[in-house]
Amino acid sequence: MRYDFTDYVLIVAGAVTRVAVYALLALPAALVVVLSFTSGETMDFPPAGFSMQWYQKAFESEPFMSALWTSTYVAVIVAIAALVIGFAAAFAINRFDFPGKGLLQALAFSPLIVPAVVLGIGLLYLFAWMNLIQTMFPLFAGHLVLAIPYVVRTVLASLTLHNRVLEEAAMNLRASPLRVVRRITLPLILPGLLSAAIFAFVTSFGNVTVSVFLTYGGNVTLPVQLFTYLDHSYNPLVAAVSSIMIFVTLAVILTIERLIGAETLS
Amino acid sequence: MVPAIGVLRYSFLDGDYLLDGHGFTLRHYLRFFSDTYYSSVLWDTFVDGLVVSLICLLIGFPVGYSLARLPPLARRWRTIIVIMPLTLSLVVIVFGWLIVLGRNGLLNSVLVNLGIISSPKTFLFARPAVILVLVQQFLPFMILSVMSVVTQIDPVLEHAASNLRANRLVTFRRVIIPLATPGILVGFNLVFVLSISAFITPRLIGGNRVPMLGSLIYERIMSEFNWPSGAAMAFILFVAGLGFTAAFNALAASRFVRGGRHAL
Repeated sequence: MRYDFTDYVLIVAGAVTRVAVYALLALPAALVVVLSFTSGETMDFPPAGFSMQWYQKAFESEPFMSALWTSTYVAVIVAIAALVIGFAAAFAINRFDFPGKGLLQALAFSPLIVPAVVLGIGLLYLFAWMNLIQTMFPLFAGHLVLAIPYVVRTVLASLTLHNRVLEEAAMNLRASPLRVVRRITLPLILPGLLSAAIFAFVTSFGNVTVSVFLTYGGNVTLPVQLFTYLDHSYNPLVAAVSSIMIFVTLAVILTIERLIGAETLS
Repeated sequence: MVPAIGVLRYSFLDGDYLLDGHGFTLRHYLRFFSDTYYSSVLWDTFVDGLVVSLICLLIGFPVGYSLARLPPLARRWRTIIVIMPLTLSLVVIVFGWLIVLGRNGLLNSVLVNLGIISSPKTFLFARPAVILVLVQQFLPFMILSVMSVVTQIDPVLEHAASNLRANRLVTFRRVIIPLATPGILVGFNLVFVLSISAFITPRLIGGNRVPMLGSLIYERIMSEFNWPSGAAMAFILFVAGLGFTAAFNALAASRFVRGGRHAL
């Protein structure tokens, strides 16, 4: 290729933008992790020195630890439920023709039609009307609505890619349909299923925009706890708690990357 | 969809507290549209959404394009950096920005040490800060939309253009942009709808100084407990988002046809 002047301008501008964008994207999380190890009492930059004291304080803090427990508990249940429902939906979309299939597919592929605020408020009103607002159901419902589309998409991608011939072979050997699904289909798409479940977990684990409307005194999740805390003040304790969330999220992304490649998440 | 319908129903209740009230009234909508404060917030929210989407497009396009053209190995770590803010809890990201932009934060400390400013400035509680943080949050959506559409453009087309002595700018304008338009519109639409419904960021970064529709709704419901009024505002937001999405889809449909002809 021959380059002229505008080519060079574009190449340089492109490279500068790319570096700036990657730095911008990584900056907040990186800074939180750095400052969580500070030995000082404030969030000033640069940090005063290295210490693990804020992690120790975080693990001793009752509100944060009970919120961490709630978040984990909710996220595990949401991941399992979303996987079951999402797999059923994806399997149906992939294998059968039924009335409303187009609608189901459209729903699975456009989770962002309803803004989070509207979803949160709507569920709040719905469960208040049913007198269930002081329970965990609103939180489960809200997170499931967010997580299921991702599960459907990931599982659908795995189902479309995997080779149907093996299933046909099993059926020729007179395996029952249930047995085929259990012994052939599920093991073959296991990486996709695992990634979907893990992603459902992290969606629920990190969500704040919907959760904030659906929590009450007894079931505050970690992000909501952080949000209410940040509304008043912030200190290195929050940085330590946030860093725990960052480590969990990073571990999840790396796991999914190993399983099926990170691009599937988009 | 059920929550949206529920929101619609409650927005017509005539009470001002929780689920009190009954009957049917347009009072909350009338109040919203007659008070100039609300219309100015609505307008500001739309302008912010537009600015955020434009910046995301401008800086996100080169990144999405290069990601699509990179070999898989080089793509890996970059993709992880792009996906991280999407997966990480929003509060953690906003918290990170509070430390960057705070009075004794990273930005002030760098600027003071470089001698650009003499004493720390207040960056928080201002509109530019809110826009910056919204851009960082929603940029991945734009990058990924552009990436997915560019992956489908055959690099052969670009080589052909350069063989015909088009420089990069011409190739970009006449080949890539027309073909990538559907992805650009999808990304733009996503970022816009997400920005106008944001409430965590305006609240924590902007405080009371930068009211946006989302943060008003949040306060109305969680602090004032005026659920019917909050529902009316949420429904306005919902309809605005749907309206913009429909407009973008229409635009995408017409643009797509023209783009196809350009490429041929």
